[in-house]
Amino acid sequence: MPRVKIPAPYRGPTQGRAAIDVVGGSVRACIEAVEAEYPGFAELVFDPSGELQSFVTLFINGEEIGRGEADTSVGADDEVEVLAAIAGG
Amino acid sequence: MSGPSGDRLIRVDMTNQTVNIEPFPDDWKLLGGRGLSAKILLAECDPECDPLGDGNVLVMAPGVLGGTAAPTSGRISIGGKSPLTNGIKEANAGGEPGQHLMKLGYRAIVVTGKPSDSEKTYGLDVTADGAEIVENAGAKMKTNYALIDYLAQSYSADASFISIGPAGELEMKGASVACTDQDARRPARHAARGGLGAVMGSKGLKYVSIEPGNAKARQPADKKAFTTLVKSYSKEYLAGPQMFKTGTSTIATVANMLNTFPYKNRTEGQSPDIQTLDGMNIIESFETRGGGMHNCLTGCIVQCSNIVHDADGNYKTSALEFETLTLLGSSCAIQSWEDVADLDRLCDEIGLDTIETGAAISIYMDAGKLDWGDAEGAKKLFDEILANSEVGSAIGNGADATGALTKHHRVPTVRGQALPAWDPRPLKATGLTYAAGPMGGDHTAGLIVNPGLPEEEWVQKSQEVQMVNAVCDSSGFCQFIQPTLDLIRQFYTALYGDEISREQIGEQAWQVLADEWEFNRRAGWTKDDPMPQCIKDDPIGPANLVWDVSQELVDRVYERPGAREELYTTPAAG
Repeated sequence: MPRVKIPAPYRGPTQGRAAIDVVGGSVRACIEAVEAEYPGFAELVFDPSGELQSFVTLFINGEEIGRGEADTSVGADDEVEVLAAIAGG
Repeated sequence: MSGPSGDRLIRVDMTNQTVNIEPFPDDWKLLGGRGLSAKILLAECDPECDPLGDGNVLVMAPGVLGGTAAPTSGRISIGGKSPLTNGIKEANAGGEPGQHLMKLGYRAIVVTGKPSDSEKTYGLDVTADGAEIVENAGAKMKTNYALIDYLAQSYSADASFISIGPAGELEMKGASVACTDQDARRPARHAARGGLGAVMGSKGLKYVSIEPGNAKARQPADKKAFTTLVKSYSKEYLAGPQMFKTGTSTIATVANMLNTFPYKNRTEGQSPDIQTLDGMNIIESFETRGGGMHNCLTGCIVQCSNIVHDADGNYKTSALEFETLTLLGSSCAIQSWEDVADLDRLCDEIGLDTIETGAAISIYMDAGKLDWGDAEGAKKLFDEILANSEVGSAIGNGADATGALTKHHRVPTVRGQALPAWDPRPLKATGLTYAAGPMGGDHTAGLIVNPGLPEEEWVQKSQEVQMVNAVCDSSGFCQFIQPTLDLIRQFYTALYGDEISREQIGEQAWQVLADEWEFNRRAGWTKDDPMPQCIKDDPIGPANLVWDVSQELVDRVYERPGAREELYTTPAAG
């Protein structure tokens, strides 16, 4: 099962969980699978039109994917990482 | 393999108008910035002194790595007893003064006393040959930008400046200390928190000029190891997501989602005006108006500082940060980022902390003295501040003073200092930093944006980030390049050629906090939870979050934690 790594600022919806194994064939499907189990997560990643939020970057196995590539396929051993730019003032 | 040597300390006695240059103690070589300031203040400043009296000590100290090739490492700490918290305070800033002082081998400027004639205005001229107090009547009550234009006539084009605006001269407790940036020499980088500009003003010191002359970068003991570190760390950072490449203003949207974008004096955690306050508007404005992102100090690879232009393409302000958009925008129900940019410029001109001032105006509005969202009314308050009228004095003296004037009940301050945007109700571990940390309500002392952090982790996470930030703020590194203790100790090892162990850097981290807590204890602080009643009573967000953390957890923050791997690998965060 692909694993989704949750950034610290987003662990409110995931009730503190830092990584979640999901069933999904693409990055977007993986995020939606997390949403199904932990409502409130997906809106932190995608805006209402389904575009990636401006402050979020996605990675597959440590490699950054482009902003319009959320439908990229993932395999069972892949790790999807969500990074959110949050700090400072 | 000795590393930088011959360092000096500048001692300025404003009472007797004397300057002494002393050798910098060799056993302090790994002390800089916040840690050095704490060490000096604990030894030389009576914690019970009047913060605006002659007993306070003002310390200006770059970090240990300042002036070297380490990336984004030239920040300068301003320290003293805070007129807001009545405890020890450190606020740091970018800009060029920290780099210049360190290249000249000056590890700190320590200012004591106050002049007998409080009407006189002084500057301190620092060169490779020493330092000199100069009377400069023409600088009196100049706003920061006007001051730098004025000083530019008398100093070289390479000089950098540390200055205060009229708020500092009026000894207003919300006053900041400005540093000029590296490219256009604008007084846009502020050590803003805690009212240290008022301390500088109380000493009659309007500015410090630093002429770098032909000063060169500081040379490490182990050049090969240092260069390797610089290259690998820079390469790793630049290959990564560069989280701050659009500055801090663009995090407003997600902060709003997390209920930590306080609205109307913190009665809500989200703003309905997020679309018009989102920093992405600023990024988009670059295309048509000019401006853009830049580095505020030489050697910075983060480049988080925005330069904001107006609709005609003229410079308006820099940098317009997330905290400013929150406190002067959302918290005041001001809807337009452009109005917030105007208010930011006014704060920078007069020399005020945008957080403290935004909180004060929010309270003024909440008390019914000005309509919510009245941006023009808010701007006019700055005329009152300059006139030092009753209302202006209250706003300039900050949130508590404004609460007292308006007799308003909702005053979100911790130990006299306004809370920053990052709200302790959804962010409990950050709240522990505010409640028990030596800096009070200051997110730069230890920010943990992790709403899902289990309760059993709150104390240790707050302690760890406070410790990492204490060393980061002593090193000169900017928190936004996110150094860890492991990385900092590697740089220190290469700089002086002496192996610095995890135990040593961990000890230094805790010692900074211990020194600061000891100062505060002597100043009269207690360990009682200082979180204001409104944060305990007023719920925000759909989960009706309040500050409901026990005194037991607050007490535990003061107990040294056992070292775990995370202490050395956690990045600084503020």
